[in-house]
Amino acid sequence: MKKAILSFVISALVLASLALWALKGHVSGNPQEILMAAIVLVLVGFGLYLGVSRVRSRLHREPSEDELSRKVMTRASSLAYYISIYLWLFIMYISDKTSLEAHSLVGGGLLGMALIFLFCWLGVKAVGMKNE
Amino acid sequence: MNNRIKELRARHDLSQLELARLVGVRRETIVFLEKGKYNPSLRLAHDIAIYFRLPIEEVFLFDDEAGKKQSGETADK
Repeated sequence: MKKAILSFVISALVLASLALWALKGHVSGNPQEILMAAIVLVLVGFGLYLGVSRVRSRLHREPSEDELSRKVMTRASSLAYYISIYLWLFIMYISDKTSLEAHSLVGGGLLGMALIFLFCWLGVKAVGMKNE
Repeated sequence: MNNRIKELRARHDLSQLELARLVGVRRETIVFLEKGKYNPSLRLAHDIAIYFRLPIEEVFLFDDEAGKKQSGETADK
């Protein structure tokens, strides 16, 4: 249950930060900002999905985690780690070829890492864990 | 690796959720097992086999074993 609460708290904090960022007038409405906000919303949705599925498991008197869910997380994390290295290499490569500021590149890289993890998690779930 | 979980579950008139609760995993794990998308740990395979009161090798079949069994059955006929 602790992990479910943690998922909800983190999602709420991210949403609150996004709302503050928008309300403070830092949003000029350019496509790059809209894309970043959309990615954040997708990731918040993923966090909420994980929290809700844990609560649902609890209500159905199932364990909130088991050997499959732990293996899926481990496989998805390791895949995301490998792919993220290439993302950062790409960001380093384009850093002197673009006018983007360092904090935008780092923020983009972090969002990219989270998105890569989401895709890896979906991929591992779709393919399964046959260990063969 | 194939398994006979779906068949045995139907024979025992059990839902996926009930079997999941009995062996201490999430329903999703049973779904993955039945679809052949997950090979369980030895512990889980043992627990499932114990529940159905069958030896592990009668619940979980390796692809080559399943082939051998089938060809054996055809030869018997």
